[in-house]
Amino acid sequence: MIKENNSQRIGVYICHCGTNISHTVDIKKLVEYARTLPDVAVVREYKYMCSEPGQDLIKKDIEEDKLTRVVVSSCSPLMHEETFRNACEDAGLNRFLFQMSNIREQCSWVHSDREKATAKAKRLITAAVRRVKYQTPMEQREAPVHPDTLVVGGGIAGIEAALKIADSGKKVYLVEKEPSIGGHMAQFDKTFPTLDCAACILTPKMVQVGQHPNIELMTYSEVEEVSGYVGNFKAKIRRKARYVDESKCTGCGECMRGCLVRNVAYLEPDEEPEIVMEPDEAATMQGIMEKYREAKGAIVPALQDTQMAFNYLPENALRYISREMEVPLGKVYRLATFYNAFSLTPQGKHVIRICMGTACYVKGGNRILEAFEDQLGIGAGDITRDQQFSLETVNCLGCCGQSPVIAVDEKIYGYFKQTDVRELIKEYS
Amino acid sequence: MPHRANVMICTCTNCISNGSLQIKEALEKEISKHKLEDDIQVVPTGASGLCVKGPILVVQPDGIFYQKLKTKDIPHLVEEHLLKGRPVESLMYVSPGEKTPIPELREIPFFKDQRLIALRNRGMIDPDKIEEYIARDGYKALAKVLTSMAPEAVIEEIKTSGLRGRGGAGFSTGRKWESRRKMQDDMKYIICNADEGDPGAFMDRSIIEADPHSVLEGMAIGAYAIGASYGYVYVRIEYPLAIERMELAVEQAREYGLLGKNIFDTGFDFDVEIFKGAGAFVCGETTALVASIESKPPEPRQRPPRTALWGKPTVINNVETWANVPAIINWGAKWFAEIGTEKSKGTKVFSLAGNVNNAGLVEVPMGITLKEIVYDIGGGIPHGKKLKAVQTGGPSGGFIPERLLDLPVDYERLQEAGAIMGSGGMVVVDEDTCMVDVAKYFIEFGVDESCGKCTACREGSDVMLQILTRICAGEGQEGDIELLEELGQAVIDASLCGLGQSLPNPVLSAIRHFRDEYEAHIRDKHCPAGVCKPLFQFKIDEEKCTGCGLCRKHCGHGAIQGESKSPHTIIADKCTKCGACYDVCTFNAVTKVANSVMEAAVSH
Repeated sequence: MIKENNSQRIGVYICHCGTNISHTVDIKKLVEYARTLPDVAVVREYKYMCSEPGQDLIKKDIEEDKLTRVVVSSCSPLMHEETFRNACEDAGLNRFLFQMSNIREQCSWVHSDREKATAKAKRLITAAVRRVKYQTPMEQREAPVHPDTLVVGGGIAGIEAALKIADSGKKVYLVEKEPSIGGHMAQFDKTFPTLDCAACILTPKMVQVGQHPNIELMTYSEVEEVSGYVGNFKAKIRRKARYVDESKCTGCGECMRGCLVRNVAYLEPDEEPEIVMEPDEAATMQGIMEKYREAKGAIVPALQDTQMAFNYLPENALRYISREMEVPLGKVYRLATFYNAFSLTPQGKHVIRICMGTACYVKGGNRILEAFEDQLGIGAGDITRDQQFSLETVNCLGCCGQSPVIAVDEKIYGYFKQTDVRELIKEYS
Repeated sequence: MPHRANVMICTCTNCISNGSLQIKEALEKEISKHKLEDDIQVVPTGASGLCVKGPILVVQPDGIFYQKLKTKDIPHLVEEHLLKGRPVESLMYVSPGEKTPIPELREIPFFKDQRLIALRNRGMIDPDKIEEYIARDGYKALAKVLTSMAPEAVIEEIKTSGLRGRGGAGFSTGRKWESRRKMQDDMKYIICNADEGDPGAFMDRSIIEADPHSVLEGMAIGAYAIGASYGYVYVRIEYPLAIERMELAVEQAREYGLLGKNIFDTGFDFDVEIFKGAGAFVCGETTALVASIESKPPEPRQRPPRTALWGKPTVINNVETWANVPAIINWGAKWFAEIGTEKSKGTKVFSLAGNVNNAGLVEVPMGITLKEIVYDIGGGIPHGKKLKAVQTGGPSGGFIPERLLDLPVDYERLQEAGAIMGSGGMVVVDEDTCMVDVAKYFIEFGVDESCGKCTACREGSDVMLQILTRICAGEGQEGDIELLEELGQAVIDASLCGLGQSLPNPVLSAIRHFRDEYEAHIRDKHCPAGVCKPLFQFKIDEEKCTGCGLCRKHCGHGAIQGESKSPHTIIADKCTKCGACYDVCTFNAVTKVANSVMEAAVSH
C-alpha cells in the first residue's frame, strides 16, 4: 500500500537556470512560499542547481540537516533527474527519495505572464513536495528479459505487428482463435479511404506469416492465462481440439462432406423460409415486380411502391423483392433502413409529421412536437397503442412560409400552435 | 376570343394547404353565376412567392393582388371587382406598420425589388399546361440551340454568362459541361438535382411547381451541349405536388415532341425519367445521389473518379441552374453577365423564412445586401422584435449577425463571413432565438443524416451534440467552447464528402459571432433568449394578470391555479415549461425568469 510518510525533513531547491527560469518566475516569492509548505526543512535557490556547487548544496544539507527527502525545481527530469539522484546517493540518501518539478519547460518557457507563471510554479512545487512524501527507498536490480513475443489476434493489426517483430529477428507466437488468420479485413471488399482492394493487401501478408521462420502461428487456439511480469511473462495457450493430423491434412474437405454427425466446421445455410403472403398482398407485389424486374437498379423505386401499397415494408415483401430481383436480402435491408421514407413497422391510421425545418424550429416546432408527445403519450417515431396515430418528425416539408407547419397524412397545417394540438387529435380520433 | 381578365390563383403546396383549391372552386361557381365564363378565366399557377400571405390571387392584366383569402370573401370579390370593376381594398396587401393598401403587385415592396430569371414565369402561367409555357417563349431556346448552334457554342455561351451552380458549391456550369463534352462515350447522362434536403429551403419545390418546363428545357439544352440522350430528375418524395407536376410536364413535352426521339427533326434524342428520393439528406451529394439512382447504398465516395451514373459521363445541376439556362440562351450571355457582381453573375432564388414578416420565395440580383432582402423585401421582423442573425445555407451554412447585414450576397463574400450561399435557404432569426439551441438543432440534424461512413463525421457530430446538449441543460464546463471548435475543425478535416466537411459550420459560425451567449450558458447558467428550459422558469406577473383564466384553461398539466378575476400563479413542480400559457396570454403577464434571477430573489 502507498502511504504518506509523515514527519519528513524535505529540502527544496529552486534553480534560476541562469535567467531561463528567473526571468518569468519570481524566485523570491517561490522561496517564501516553499517555506510555508508542511515538512519542508530547507529551501534554497541557486543560479545553476545542476552545477558542481549546486549539487554540493544538496549533499551538504543531507549530511548536516539530516534531510530525508529532496525536491529540485528546475528543468525537465529528462535533463537532470539522474544528476540529482546521484547527488543524493553520494550523500547517503536513497536515490528514489528524490523528486523533480519542472518549472522550466512546463512553466517559464511557455508563459509570459510573470504573475501567472509564478502561481503555476508554486503549484508544481507543492505537488512535488506532496508527492515525495509517498516515495519509499528502492534498490535497483537486473533481471534477464525473455525476448520472445506473443501477439494475440491474427487480424491485420496482429499480422502486421508479428511481421515487423519477426523481421527484426525476434521469435513471435501469433495466436488466433479462428481456424484462419485474416480477421475482419478478410471479409472486406475495399479499404477506406483509398478504396484499395482489401484482399490484395491482406493475402500476401497472410502467406508471409505462414512462411516466416521466426513466427509460430497458432490458429484455432486461445490465450487462457497470462502470468509473470514485465520481460518475463508466461502465457498459457489452449490449442483447440483438431481431431485430424495436421501434418497430413491437405484441407480437401472430403471428411466434412462424409461426416455422419455433421460435426463440421461450418453450418449449412438455413433453408430459405417460404414467403407467405395474403393473396391480395401477393398480387400487389407481383404488380410491382412486373414494373421493375427488368429495370436496372430499381430496388429503391420498388421499395417506394411497396411502402406506398402497405404503408410499411413487410418482411415477406422484402424477401420477395430480394428473391425476384436477385439481390441479397442484406442489401435490400440496407436500403430499406437507410432512407427516412421507409418504415419496417406498420404505421398508424393517421401519420402526424412535425416539420423540423429550420424556419419551423426557430418558431417553436420542437415545442409542438413535445405537445404532441405529451397528448399522445408516445415519442417521435412511435405509434399509439390503438394504432390510430404515428408520430414522426420530418426534416422539412418545404412550406417554410407558414412555419411552424405540421402534416397529418397528406394535409398540411400551417401556422400551427401548440394550443391547437388537442383539437386536432380529437378531429382525427 | 381572348378573355377580358385572367384570375391567377396560386396553387402551390402552401396555398393549397390554406384552401386555395376551394377558393378556385368558389371562384368558378361565382363566375358562372354571373355568367362571366367567356370574359373571365381562372388560371391555377405555381407559387407567387409571398407564401406567408396565402392563399393569393392576382387579377391580370391589371395586376391587382389579393391576399389571405377565405372562401366567404369570393362572392363579394367577384361581384365587386370582376363584375363592377371596383377592386376590393379590404383584401389587398398592407405593408407592416402602414395603413394604406397597395393594390398592384408590382408596387408591393416584396415584389418590386425582385428580379425574375429562374422564376420568370411564376404566377403567370398554369404549370399544368405546356401551351402556356410555350406562349411565354418556352422551348424557343431549345429550338434555337438545336437548329442554329453547335454544342461547343452553347457551352461557350454558358461559360461567358458566368453561370455558377445554384446548388451551393458554385462551380462554373459551363466548365462542368465542357469537361463532360470532351469525354468520349456512347452514353452520357443529365441529372437535375431536386433532392432539396436543406431544412428551411423550398426553392426547388417552388420552381418545379410553378414552371416545370423551364427545368426540362434547360436539361434538354444541357443534354445537347454535352451529347447526352437521357436524363433523370431526382425529386424528394416529400414533395408530392412537385412530382405530380413534373410527371405531367414530361408527358406533355413528349406529346409535343419536345422530349423523345428526333426533337425538332434535328436527329437529337433526349428523354427524361423522374426518380423519387426516399428521404436522405446525404443524397444531395452527387456521388451519393448517383449511387441512390443505381440502388446502391447512398454513401458518398472519394472523388476522383468523377461522378458517373452507370459509369458514364454525367452532368448534375440543381433545379435553379437548369431553369436559368433557357433564359441565358434566349436573352444572351452578355445580358446575364451584366447582372450581379464580378464573380457571381445573374440572380439567386432564396427561400426567405423564419422570423420575418414577408416569408416567401424571392429572386434577387447577386450583390444585393442582406439588409435589403430582410427589410425591404421581407418587410422586417414581426412583433417589433430585434433581428439577431440570418442563417444561410442550411445545415452546411452559417449565421450572419445583424452587424454584418450590409454584406452583399455573393458566393465569396458569404464564405468570408463564415456562411455559404448554399442552395438558397435563408432563415431569419430574432432575439428570441438561442444561438446555442439552434446550433444544437443543426448538429442534431447532422447526427441524423450522417451516413456513417466516416468516423469523424459520425462520432464527431455525436460528441458535439452531447456537448451542446450539456450546455443547454446548464451543465456546460469551462473549455467546452474550445473543445467544440477543435472538434468541429477535426470533423471538417477528416470527412470525405461535403456533408461532413460542412456539418460543423453552423456551430462554428454561431460561436464565432455569438460567443458571449455560449459563455453566458456556461458561466452564468443563463440563456439570454429564454429558450433553454432548464435555465428559466415561467412566472405570472401579478400586476399584469387580470385573472382571465385563459392560461389555466390551456395548461395541460394543471400547473396554474387562481380564482377568476384574481391573479393566477404557476405551481413550479407541476410546470413542464411547455410554454402554452406564455403563448396564449394576451396581457404579456406570463414571463420567463432566469434561474439565476430567481435564486437571487429567494436569497433576499
